[in-house]
Amino acid sequence: MSLRPMEIRIGIDIGGTFTDLVAIAADGRVLTRKTASTPHDYGEGIAVGLSELLAEAGGDVAEILHGTTIGSNTILEGKGARCALITTAGFRDVLEIRDLRMPRLYDLHWTKPVALVERRMRLTVNEKMRPDGSVAIPLDPASLQAAIDFLRAEQVQSLAICLLHSYANPAHEDAIAQAVAAALPSIAISKSSEILPEIKEYPRTSTTVVNAYVQPVVRSYLTALSARLASLGISVPLKLMQSNGGLASASFAAAQPAHIVESGPAAGVVGGAALAARLGEDRVITFDMGGTTAKAGLVENGEVLRSEALEVGGGVMTGSRLLVGAGYMLKLPAIDLAEVGAGGGSICRLDAAGAPKVGPESAGADPGPACYGRGGILPTITDCNLVLGYLDPAGLAGGALPLDAAAAREAVAQYLAKPMGCSVEEAAFGMLRLAAATMMRAIRAVSVERGRDPRQFTLLAFGGNGPLFAAAIAAELGIRLVLIPPMPGLFSAFGLLVGDTEHHVSRSLRLRIGATPAPNEIARVQDLLNALTATGTERLREDGFNGDCSAFILSGAARYVGQSTEIPVKLPTTDAATLLSELPELFAAEHERTYGFRAPADEPVELMGLSLIARGIPDSPRLPAAIPPAAARVPASRLAWFPGQGWIETKVLDRASLTSTTLPGPLIIQEYDATCLVPPNATASLDPFGNICLRLD
Amino acid sequence: MSARVPIDPITAELFRNAITAIGDEMSLTIYRTAYSGVLKNIMDYSTAVCDARGRLVAQGLSLPGHLCSIPVALQAALRHFGDDIAEGDILILNDPYDGGMHLPDIFVFKPIFSGATIIAYSATICHHTDVGGRVPGSNASDSTEIYAEGLRIPPLKLYEAGVPNKTLHRMIERNVRLPGRVFGDLRSQLAACEIAARGMADLLTQHGAEGVRALMNETMDYSERLTRHCLLELPDGEATFTDWIDDDQIDHGVPIKLVCIVRKRGDAMEFDWTGSAPQVKGAINNTWSYTAASSFTAAKSVLSVNMPNNDGVFRAITVIAPKGTIMHGELPAACAARGLTGFRAADCAFGALALLYPDRVFAASEGGNTGITIGGYDAERKPFIYVDFLSGAWGARPWADGLDGNTSMFANMASFSVEVIEAENPLEVLDYEMLPDTAGAGKYRGGVSLRRTWRMLADEGILQVRADRQTHRPYGLQGGGPGAAGRNVLDPDLPTEAKLHGKLTMTLRAGQVFRHELPGAGGWGDALDRDFTSITKDLRDGLVTIEGAARDYGVVASGNPPVVDEAASIKLRAHLRTVRAPLPAVAFLPASSEA
Repeated sequence: MSLRPMEIRIGIDIGGTFTDLVAIAADGRVLTRKTASTPHDYGEGIAVGLSELLAEAGGDVAEILHGTTIGSNTILEGKGARCALITTAGFRDVLEIRDLRMPRLYDLHWTKPVALVERRMRLTVNEKMRPDGSVAIPLDPASLQAAIDFLRAEQVQSLAICLLHSYANPAHEDAIAQAVAAALPSIAISKSSEILPEIKEYPRTSTTVVNAYVQPVVRSYLTALSARLASLGISVPLKLMQSNGGLASASFAAAQPAHIVESGPAAGVVGGAALAARLGEDRVITFDMGGTTAKAGLVENGEVLRSEALEVGGGVMTGSRLLVGAGYMLKLPAIDLAEVGAGGGSICRLDAAGAPKVGPESAGADPGPACYGRGGILPTITDCNLVLGYLDPAGLAGGALPLDAAAAREAVAQYLAKPMGCSVEEAAFGMLRLAAATMMRAIRAVSVERGRDPRQFTLLAFGGNGPLFAAAIAAELGIRLVLIPPMPGLFSAFGLLVGDTEHHVSRSLRLRIGATPAPNEIARVQDLLNALTATGTERLREDGFNGDCSAFILSGAARYVGQSTEIPVKLPTTDAATLLSELPELFAAEHERTYGFRAPADEPVELMGLSLIARGIPDSPRLPAAIPPAAARVPASRLAWFPGQGWIETKVLDRASLTSTTLPGPLIIQEYDATCLVPPNATASLDPFGNICLRLD
Repeated sequence: MSARVPIDPITAELFRNAITAIGDEMSLTIYRTAYSGVLKNIMDYSTAVCDARGRLVAQGLSLPGHLCSIPVALQAALRHFGDDIAEGDILILNDPYDGGMHLPDIFVFKPIFSGATIIAYSATICHHTDVGGRVPGSNASDSTEIYAEGLRIPPLKLYEAGVPNKTLHRMIERNVRLPGRVFGDLRSQLAACEIAARGMADLLTQHGAEGVRALMNETMDYSERLTRHCLLELPDGEATFTDWIDDDQIDHGVPIKLVCIVRKRGDAMEFDWTGSAPQVKGAINNTWSYTAASSFTAAKSVLSVNMPNNDGVFRAITVIAPKGTIMHGELPAACAARGLTGFRAADCAFGALALLYPDRVFAASEGGNTGITIGGYDAERKPFIYVDFLSGAWGARPWADGLDGNTSMFANMASFSVEVIEAENPLEVLDYEMLPDTAGAGKYRGGVSLRRTWRMLADEGILQVRADRQTHRPYGLQGGGPGAAGRNVLDPDLPTEAKLHGKLTMTLRAGQVFRHELPGAGGWGDALDRDFTSITKDLRDGLVTIEGAARDYGVVASGNPPVVDEAASIKLRAHLRTVRAPLPAVAFLPASSEA
């Protein structure tokens, strides 16, 4: 779909407080809007922003790309559909028992998230499959009828079906779905064999139940949004960002909303990947810091790092992702984001033994940092930045949000400097270092913990607070180049515009790979490959991409026999015979890269699953050639404090005043939506695209 | 002693973060590279950084049961080797009578040098699937001597100056059932130690050897200050709690006494296990370190602050466990299945704390996990070993119900996926679900029992079970009732049905079915005070039956879905209050059976 001259594409990113809109016109113009979110009906805020944007841009809308928190909010607020679950007799409680593990140790107050389907709504039928897909117990019609009667009596809106070993044979799930659909046509049905045809009953059940729980809500949201767009005269395709970073049609999102649950945070990383590809950067770490948390992601050779599962409502990663169980599990590919509880609003304090701590408690927007003058008295990271002169005392957002520097200083003095016995500046700077250390853990989580050396990466920093911290963090990690993209505060909405349509599909198998694979093994793998490709092709066709503009990326989950976790291995072919002969070496190489060693060559390898990414290739570039910087009114200079140097008069610029000429720090680059700090050990310049480049020695 | 250089609080906090992160990255390395499901799914391993004297400085996220094990083991190794430790050495041990815990737990240590001086050690402990001995999995609870339990490795060098010790490698290879897995897991322990060495090298570059030493001391001192501060806020007092393990599988039906005396004075706390039973014949004897881990788990759960795990905590909270008792076995006591005693010791320590601080502590949980091992040979004569741990009921809390289907506080373990069990072993799993009327009744009820049932598909295999609380039930507190007893059953609902012992080792033949029911957890507070909304929910969810509601809660209900008759229930409750005996503070038996 190439853009006609007067067409524009619009990205809409809904957050808790603001709805961000970014539009790219065919002529390369970029327009932005930030409006207040309207949680009672998000469409309202969107409509306000859209009409303003359209009035300014003129022309026709070609495409609307949307990132939304509707899925995760539905779960967190417990406002999903009236749901039931049908499962194999004897296994009614899989959903609630989960994998038993808890995210916190030594905490007697720990409470599990409430199961999305309570026990009385979890129904069982007599049936069972074996792991090889053969029938152990045939489906019992009487127990199925009893379940259908219950669904009717309880006026269930949405049904999840998850039977044991249905990944190996979906026949019983299909039969149940057909019988229910025939008896109760209005019930929405989510089948585990369709949502996630993979082994392990708990992740599959949980994922299917989440899908069933949010499906009617997401469907009506999308229907209402489409109607609202139509009322603005917009009838173009609406596409949704999935948790995996790919875009999908609204109809797919309505059928399998489990894929769009973490739609919001994915877009920034996708934007980072597109920018990295444009700039020829093979290795980029994205760093997105807002008011309460900071998130890190990884882009390597144009591909974003993905994890194979996520937890909704799991809260912020504190230290390690080993501690699971805080939220609702979705075993679907998702952009791998490590999140820590450090943002501008994070509260700085001393603990009972006098140790300084930053976050995870946040002052939020209300009362907010002490400098907001809304009743907050505890010092926050924003207060520390203000005390040191890094933020403009005249206020944020071009002065729209005035700041009280004296209040910030008083808070830091009273709660930090005095008890620590140091100066206000040392205390504030120390807290910023601690915050940076916390955020470095997020970056290490996506790099070092994955066998990557952050020193070989470029840091792409965005979000309202990312550009303030980027240089300091890069210096600590040994990263030499930092990029601050245009519109850093709206970068997630921008990321929506540069995403690709993608469908991720996967299947389980278990195959020990011998020196010469047997013909029946090759045939079995070929069947799976063909099935995956067919599903991918079909879904892309529904999104308007034919074979010529499709790309398929295949990977296998493999392990050494005896190992209990698989690692993903990119596979270069969909020919089963070739694939099986090349896999052991490809796996060993990936194992070595991830873990630093490979097992002796005679250790057998097992293939445990296959996944395919089917990607639609757009016929025109998604990213404009450059984004011209917007001019802003800023003071010429102000005093800022740097360790070892104390207070120095520091030059303040806007992005538009920056050129390809390298300027030495210290500098402050002030924009409407963010402030970029260039410390004395760094330099700054502007690249042809419009990014600020910070270089560290 | 060098003069103390003042350390600024920011530098100290940054260092604490960094060294804690090293422990966590070690932990993740093992998680990602381990071969065995025991490590990956059950996380039965721990990682740490210790100082040159073997004191714990930072521990990675890990199993509570390993809390004190690493410094004890490392210090044992240091006693052996003294100055004879060189760059590139890797120390190893598993002997419970020389620093270890039980034979499957293998410790691996790597010295970290600055120049010619040892600055620190990276340390790992992993539960290995099998270390030889008379049964697959090396964890029978009916061995009577350590010599039957597998390969005993005293403190030795697995590598000397970077060169593998081939003698030791071959000895290990010949004495374990699945050497590929043992070496695979050892490799992941080495990888974790290497990660720590790299992280420590960065810290040494930043702070120098003296700086790192001072900062490690400060890290431990800080934990001590924080712990003592928390302790100071609690009232002083002393309490003694007594509980019993059902038996040791050798002397059937002979209960084993556990006694925990907690003394809290000022900014210090002491757990004293004097009075506990002498060591037993069966393989459930604790090492001191394991008894200490139980004590610390209880203490940390009751103290509100998230204290870093290190030597500083051990200075403020001390543990006494007399030698020759089940809490501190001596050679040749068998100890492979001592996990059981650790869990039960944690229950006992929680009980003593509950007497001191009734509003802070939960009633007894399910008694810890049940260990199940089924091993043998499949149809192609390939060996299989399936090791699983079931747990899942928390005692009721003074403010809320106990959790259903949640891992024990003492071991943050996952259970195996039913589908994976069936796909990888000649076993069929017939059910895995919650059981009604098993929770200890109370104003807040305990967690419910779970059951899992297996059918053997291979010709035969060896079944080992380590379970408890089948005669001595999980206690309720402040008027709450005890949880249901656990059960082991052969061929349930078949003519050949038989009740089995709590701890057992037996042959399971093709077609035979084994069922395990976990105990339910204890309740808290008077069951007659439980609100009708909660009872209605439990009735409708099928976790309490109509009969159970009447018997345990004085509630009249009927219908499907059940409806509570509130007026009739209020009347019944009033009547019950006048006729029943006073409720005890600690209840091991239901009120009805004591009347």
